[in-house]
Amino acid sequence: MRAFFLSVLILAGCSSPAGRPHGPTARRIVSLLPSFTEILFDIGAGDRLVGRTTWCDYPPAALAVPSVGDGIPPNIEAVAARQPDLVVLYNSGPNVTAAKQLERIGIRTVLLDLNRLEDLGPAARTLGRLTGREKIADSLAAAMDSLAARPPPSATASITFVVWDNPPIVIGRGSYLHQIAALAGARNVFADLAAPSAQVSLETIAARNPDWIAVLADSAVPPAFAKRPEWQAVRAVRDRHFLLLPGSLFGRPGPRSSQAVAELQRLLRK
Amino acid sequence: MKWALLVTVAVLALVASVAVGPAAVPLGELLRSDIVWNLRAPRALLAFLVGGSLGIAGAGLQALVRNPLADPFLLGLSGGAGLGAVLAIALHLSGPWALPLAAFAGALAALALVYRLGLIGGAALDPRILLLGGVAIGAFAAAITTAIVSLADASELRNAFLWLWGGLSSASWDAVLVILLYAPIPIAVLLAASRPLDLLALGEEPARYLGADVDAVKRRVYLAASLLTAAAVAVSGVIGFVGLVVPHLARLTWGHRHRALLPAAFVGGGALLAIADTLARTVVAPRELPVGVVTALIGVPVFTLLLRRWTIA
Repeated sequence: MRAFFLSVLILAGCSSPAGRPHGPTARRIVSLLPSFTEILFDIGAGDRLVGRTTWCDYPPAALAVPSVGDGIPPNIEAVAARQPDLVVLYNSGPNVTAAKQLERIGIRTVLLDLNRLEDLGPAARTLGRLTGREKIADSLAAAMDSLAARPPPSATASITFVVWDNPPIVIGRGSYLHQIAALAGARNVFADLAAPSAQVSLETIAARNPDWIAVLADSAVPPAFAKRPEWQAVRAVRDRHFLLLPGSLFGRPGPRSSQAVAELQRLLRK
Repeated sequence: MKWALLVTVAVLALVASVAVGPAAVPLGELLRSDIVWNLRAPRALLAFLVGGSLGIAGAGLQALVRNPLADPFLLGLSGGAGLGAVLAIALHLSGPWALPLAAFAGALAALALVYRLGLIGGAALDPRILLLGGVAIGAFAAAITTAIVSLADASELRNAFLWLWGGLSSASWDAVLVILLYAPIPIAVLLAASRPLDLLALGEEPARYLGADVDAVKRRVYLAASLLTAAAVAVSGVIGFVGLVVPHLARLTWGHRHRALLPAAFVGGGALLAIADTLARTVVAPRELPVGVVTALIGVPVFTLLLRRWTIA
């Protein structure tokens, strides 16, 4: 999950205006991002999904939808074979190319930005319009908008998200995870990095001395780098102050973002 | 004089890489700081040792294959190391040392294959076949690596390439100790081959007439240089340009006598990598540049200047 998340972060730089929805209500949809799959189920359009990525593991009903691969980059023929009348893609360079190819064979596509909390509302509204579920989508969008606009509480702990350990890559303020941390009352010590993620020196992490090291992990054991000698220079590593965040909940903005905030708050209180 | 200059540069590079970093450590606390003692000092030493190993290995290989393009990574080792690392992740080998050990094993496997190919025509290691075999084995390993990365389910695999270009981020006293115990043997083998390498520059036949055991020397130099590179890739990933550019710079200043050229390539390579890593850590702080970017940014302009001097001279 970490890798998928990382690739999303890296791709987050490229954006262009989202595709303009038009035409009839979509009946057969392929979703190429786990967040879109979650939103579609949330607004009651899950039964129209005919394709998803291997990463789309929530809600459990999504697993019954046929997978069209990992989506990085999308496998055009596998997507086309599902005979969709709408393909929803995350707005990134390779996906723009894939969308053009799909349009060329007559399949309608929509490219949506989904990098930060404030992108969730517009994405939900667009998907609502495309599926004829405007009303329920608008109420989801309103909830998402108010989460994005919620003033963060004063921070009670400091945190570093380590996306990769060698070389160390951490989350900056351009990332969705930075927003989740802020809303949960945790100060990202790399808030001065404007990028979503960046390579930093281990000594910078040690000097900034976060209370917690957060990693996206699907296991309950601390990451392998916890045992590396050079990482012992970081106090939180020495004290085994790891926050192991399930990738499915924390790795993507979506209808469960407020749940992610609450879960992080709970972990920080422990 | 030039030795004094080189050693001064190397010492200054080491001092700078311990004294300077993205974290502000007051000069007075330099010797007591945990960051300096456990992160900067081992990283500076490891940079010096790895850079030196790549420099001397490159000088030895260039003399062996008599090709100015020879680089320690040209002979398939980076491909083998990458395959080893990816396999370790795909097979879920965990533990703090799994990746370096797997990369080392992969590099050794590539080394053995290329060596065997090089002996295809008999006991004499054929430099042309070494070069071609190295490129071919490297490409083959890279192809398998890419296939595993794109087919396997383990999502972390996509980041395995990051590890391969990871540079010196994983430096620790353990790694320094391993290299300090390991490197002297292949380095001694290379230094002991100085005189026959000088003769080899005249061509294999003349070298034979002048009393060099050409076949044995070639085998020893190839194995020593490759074993040094395999250890370097295990602790620091693939770092380009040091093993290519430094031997040429050393040859330009010290001439073709390997007794001087090889030590100069070691000290010069160490100094270059220590400087490059210091810049990588500090220039865009708090961010960090991949060290290979900096070695190329320093190495290539120097190399071009040098080519100019060559062609004019």
